Amino acid sequence: MDTEAGSRTEFRSLDEDVQDLKKEVLDLNRDLFLLEEELLFPANSQVAFFISMDVGEYFEVDSVNLKIDGKEVANYLYTEREAGALVRGGVHRVHMANLKTGDHELIAVFTGTGPHTRDYRRGATMTFKKGIGAKYMELEITDRVKKQQPEFVIKEWE
Amino acid sequence: MLRCCSIIAALLLFLTAAAQPAQAAKDGPDPIVVKDPLYGEVLFYFYQEDYFPAIVHLLAAQNKWRVAEQSDQAEPFEYAEQAELLLGGLFLSYGHHLEAADIFERLLADNVDTEIRDRTWFFLAKIWLQRGYLDESQTALSNLSEDLPQNLWREAQMLQSQIYINSGQYDRAITLLQDWKGKTEWASYAKFNLGVALVRSGRVNEAKEILNELGDLNPFNDELTSLRDKANLALGYSLLQDGQPLAAKAPLQRVRLEGPFSNKALLGVGWADAEIENYRRALVPWMELRGRDLLDSAVQESMLAIPYALAKLDSISQAADHYLNAIEAFYEETNRIDRTIGFIESGDIFEEFLSDDPLDSTGWYWRLEELPQGPEARYLYHLLATHEFQEGLKNYRDLNYLQENLDRWRQNINVYTNMLETRLEAYAERLPRVEDALARADLDGMVDRKLELDSLLNNIEQSNDWLALASKQEFEMWGEITGLENTPALSANIPEADEVRDKVLLLKGVLQWELERDFKDRLWRLRRDVRKTGEALVETQRSRRKIDDTMRSEPLRFDDMSARVYGLGPRIDGMTFRVDGAMSEQRAFLQSIAVGELQAQKQRLDVYTVQARFALAAIYDIAATVGDASE
Repeated sequence: MDTEAGSRTEFRSLDEDVQDLKKEVLDLNRDLFLLEEELLFPANSQVAFFISMDVGEYFEVDSVNLKIDGKEVANYLYTEREAGALVRGGVHRVHMANLKTGDHELIAVFTGTGPHTRDYRRGATMTFKKGIGAKYMELEITDRVKKQQPEFVIKEWE
Repeated sequence: MLRCCSIIAALLLFLTAAAQPAQAAKDGPDPIVVKDPLYGEVLFYFYQEDYFPAIVHLLAAQNKWRVAEQSDQAEPFEYAEQAELLLGGLFLSYGHHLEAADIFERLLADNVDTEIRDRTWFFLAKIWLQRGYLDESQTALSNLSEDLPQNLWREAQMLQSQIYINSGQYDRAITLLQDWKGKTEWASYAKFNLGVALVRSGRVNEAKEILNELGDLNPFNDELTSLRDKANLALGYSLLQDGQPLAAKAPLQRVRLEGPFSNKALLGVGWADAEIENYRRALVPWMELRGRDLLDSAVQESMLAIPYALAKLDSISQAADHYLNAIEAFYEETNRIDRTIGFIESGDIFEEFLSDDPLDSTGWYWRLEELPQGPEARYLYHLLATHEFQEGLKNYRDLNYLQENLDRWRQNINVYTNMLETRLEAYAERLPRVEDALARADLDGMVDRKLELDSLLNNIEQSNDWLALASKQEFEMWGEITGLENTPALSANIPEADEVRDKVLLLKGVLQWELERDFKDRLWRLRRDVRKTGEALVETQRSRRKIDDTMRSEPLRFDDMSARVYGLGPRIDGMTFRVDGAMSEQRAFLQSIAVGELQAQKQRLDVYTVQARFALAAIYDIAATVGDASE
């Protein structure tokens, strides 16, 4: 019984150490993550591109292709797990870029399964202005219920 | 845009996922609506059960929101409290229960929905009990309200009884469990725990009644069947110890023939028969045990019980053979245990636990699905069934994840150090060129000239000086005409001179008329051009200020970045050192549990070997005595 109690105490002491270490490593990861972002993508030139879904009844995403100013910058294939996370409200950062201030053109091409389980491929284009601060672009896949079709909307966040 | 995210959805989501991950993934709750891509990004990892990156992204996002608020660039983040609660949920999923509890204690105040608060405390109580944090688990249970849903209330009562039993408060456990009503699965568990508490508090007779009732139930699933076996076994052995071998047989025979408790039940049935001196019948279950896994203590004991019964039946030579077989088998088993202890002490076994370790399979819900291959696996089977070993192994894997994470960052930080140095060099190289170009650009002089132009145009307008706006060609023409006008020859009083004078006057009049006609238009165009020049100058001044600011701030930014890059390297190294140390301690702890368990088995085999040798010696003695007597 004493051995058992001793073992329990030892387990708890080790468990508490592991908990402390986890917290410290998580904090360190936060600092490193922020440093990495500031170093690779300084705020004055940073543009982040996100993919999100609203409902997702009419479209199951397979891949997303992004072009900025005519140059392909991302071609992302989604796993089942990732696509599921998007449907449930997750937002995926698909690309980060450094862009000069001024106008830029974004072309996003989505491929996947559309209504009636047919292969579906659709593009969305927009011109956006890059100002001085960091900018977020959200490419949202929504359901257009009236037409029973998916819709692809690009939104800007400053 | 901002679609609203409710705290209820966020927490219920995590609690549902915590309760039934597979089901939640399939039929999950309604999608959460995000109000910030960074928040949504956290959910993206959370829904994939990648808790570590989810937490890191959330901590980083919280940092950004705070910085934005402090610099007045943004409104305070509206959902900061929800984000904090989500962080608590993520910590809990990641097995970081103490940190999670801190957050919940801070935020789960009266203004939060009771159901959410109850569910959260309930899951914390469960996790803490599993990890042996009895006081914390008790506190969490005390925080539950009376509105807890029925199904969770029953389980909470069960947790409470477990806390009482684990902390030796048997009477409180009995009081809690004896009034349990209903015929649910929980009622069966309650009965079993009640039986255990009664036995441990010495009230064996009361325990028998409860266990007998439970041992006779008609189970509708595997868990209940197992519980029934457990109750029958406990009852059978307590009756055997109480000197009631006949009564003990019935419950022992109710235990399934194939199951985790069958060996012990077969052994017990044999001893019940042996107790009433029916050795022939006792041999039936014991012989059945002979072909089973020698690792089981019941099987080991049966190897001694069989020759004991045979001796009692006067089959002395058969008994001697069985004792010899047992000694041999125990010897071989001891050698195998020694090899396994060596393997465990070498630490190699832990590499096997990690070898198929995808980096994302950490966190609270991880369970070892398959044992490592090899002869030692069979020894670890029931070790792994214990919470302590499983939880210790879970910590060991989490530490391994941290170690690999730190390794990756160490490589990256070296790259960032080089990158920063290259940027510093490039900046130092470009700076003199930029300073030179800036010194050459006389912006103030340009502004003065623009102001002079404004003043000149004002004077021209006020004096209606249309000639001032003539083009170069027109001005030359005007000069020629006025030159001709003043020529002495034209003053002569002759008809030819009159004719030329008239023509000169006509030309002068036409030119003046045209200049006066275009005066306003020309003045407007000039003013427009000057205004545009002024705007360009303002823009240039702004850019100049930005360049000046950048030249002032960039060295500071480089200093800040350098301090962070150079400061984080040692932090990574320090942390790696501590993680390595914790891994060694955790490994040593797991080794001590495993080796301790194997040593106990070895000691039991040693005792059985001594008993077998002693019995064999006694048989040889009897045989010798009989031989001597017959001579």
